[in-house]
Amino acid sequence: MTDFATSPSTTTGQRLRAAGSAVASLPFAYAATLILLIAAYFMRPALLSPMLLLLIARQAAPLGLAAIGQSLCMRVLSIDLSIGGVIVGVSYILTGGLLPFSDPVLMLIAIAFGVAVGLLNAFFITRLRASSVIVTLAVTLIITGVAVAFSQLRSPGDAPEMLRQVSRLKIGIVPVALLIWLAVLIPIAVFLRMSVFGRYIDAIGANPRAAWVSGIPYVRVVTVVHVMSSLFAVFSGFLLIGFVGVGSMDLGRDLALNSLAAVILGGVTFGSGKGGVLGPTVAALMLTFSFNLLTSLGLGEPAKLMLQGLIIGVAAAAYSIQRKT
Amino acid sequence: MLDLKRRSRRTGLTPIALALPLALFILLCLSSSTFTSLENLANVNSQIAALLIASLGQAIVAISGGIDLSVGAVMGLTSAILVTVDPSLAVPLAYAMGIAVGLVNGLGVTFFNVHPLVMSLASMTFVQGLALLVNPVPGGVVPGYLRTLAVSEPLGLPAALFWSVGVILLAWYLLNRTRFGLRTYAVGANPASAQRNGVSAARHKVACYVLCSLAAVTAGIFLTARVGAGDATMGAAYSLDTVTAMALGGVQLAGGAGSVLGVVAGVLTLGLISNGMNLLGISPFLRAAVTGVLLLAAIGLQRREAIGA
Repeated sequence: MTDFATSPSTTTGQRLRAAGSAVASLPFAYAATLILLIAAYFMRPALLSPMLLLLIARQAAPLGLAAIGQSLCMRVLSIDLSIGGVIVGVSYILTGGLLPFSDPVLMLIAIAFGVAVGLLNAFFITRLRASSVIVTLAVTLIITGVAVAFSQLRSPGDAPEMLRQVSRLKIGIVPVALLIWLAVLIPIAVFLRMSVFGRYIDAIGANPRAAWVSGIPYVRVVTVVHVMSSLFAVFSGFLLIGFVGVGSMDLGRDLALNSLAAVILGGVTFGSGKGGVLGPTVAALMLTFSFNLLTSLGLGEPAKLMLQGLIIGVAAAAYSIQRKT
Repeated sequence: MLDLKRRSRRTGLTPIALALPLALFILLCLSSSTFTSLENLANVNSQIAALLIASLGQAIVAISGGIDLSVGAVMGLTSAILVTVDPSLAVPLAYAMGIAVGLVNGLGVTFFNVHPLVMSLASMTFVQGLALLVNPVPGGVVPGYLRTLAVSEPLGLPAALFWSVGVILLAWYLLNRTRFGLRTYAVGANPASAQRNGVSAARHKVACYVLCSLAAVTAGIFLTARVGAGDATMGAAYSLDTVTAMALGGVQLAGGAGSVLGVVAGVLTLGLISNGMNLLGISPFLRAAVTGVLLLAAIGLQRREAIGA
């Protein structure tokens, strides 16, 4: 009698527990988004109108693009903090007025610049085996230093008309920038899931030493990942410059750290071999939403920085505890 | 000869690291007439004293196998605290803050197993935010006694010289003449084997992070007192400058090797370069770019096993 009564209940209990641990292993970004939305519902319900939500999603597009690249880097145990530097470089190339070319050519040059920065990062990280954080920070110092020094010579010009159009246009009520983000995101997600390259990334992330000895083209994969990350930064810079309308040396300065926060919140951690593209994407939306919420509550830059720091630290600590147990 | 080789492995010193500041010194003597004036040399000294204090702290963490990017933010928060809090409480509060930041960094790295770079980036961002919250706009009044400590000229020598010599001796004693120093090298070279030999690697690392933050607070106090005003972002460049200086001086980022002499050489190199660029009238923004190039060169030359972060 008792047997009959308890055995189904234990299986439901087990099932519940299994479901519970599956939920617990979801990226923090999902739960955090839910909490934020509920908080916004009570504190600033106006933020939840579809119109504003779409605007916030548009605003999140540059961060979202950068976060894709950052997530790839972190999945192969690297970090790319040169995103901000690349964007400043792109801004200078497009609006500095130093190069006498038409806008499309300048955009091609900017893309080539991105590839070059990615290759430079990858060279130092894979061939000379220097720490990726230090290398990419040093590259940022160099690019920003040179760009700012040169931009003292003349004031920055307007952004290319095409980019300004992209940032302004909507299809129906959906901003084009958001569609571009999706158009990049979905193929990348499919590619990483279906391709051998995606498997290589997971293998390196799960156990770099095993990946190295089993003959996976380690150096090539890390190189490609860093070039991709810099390219995403270039596209993210295109969107940002379009939003602002004029060149600026302050563009994208916080994007490197924000993308790091988005990626960690999105469930990608060092040494797990896990992580997708959806998690960082949700996290990018969530972060942008939370910054808007903070601004609407009258808290400015300092609160934003403190929130970023807390997110990165707490999320990273929580994941490594989870992994240990 | 063999002994010398073993020594250089422990200190990480190379002839280039030591020759670089000397060569720069000679170059600057030849190219600028004002460089050798006593006024300018004193100026160089007070420009680099803060960097020296912070770099020695950074080096201790690096020798123990970690890294601390929150140095600059801690300096900024120190500066913010000094000009907003009651003068009698300001210095103790700043040091208490340093201990807290060091503990958070150290515990995050050891007990929560977070990568040191990620951990200190997180604390850097948080502390920088806090500093801006405490003191949003540069300014304020620095307590008088601190000002005296930083800019007076006892015996006709600039105070910065006494600060520099003091911290160099302190760091040298700590690393070369105490059990703490020996353990720092042991933990950095091989934490597992240090652990088996009875050193609590985790506890030791936490202590190193606390020391580094305390050094950053000291650097912040000196810099704030010298400038004579509070600025929450005054340390922004220092996080990477300290890493550059110690890497130039042969301190291995992988841990287990480094020396006070090397750090001094690295700090001198950076200081002379920025002073030289100043004297030769080169854009200060390019100085950041040059630091970046030096940083890339210095860490590109350090071999290590792992690829990645």
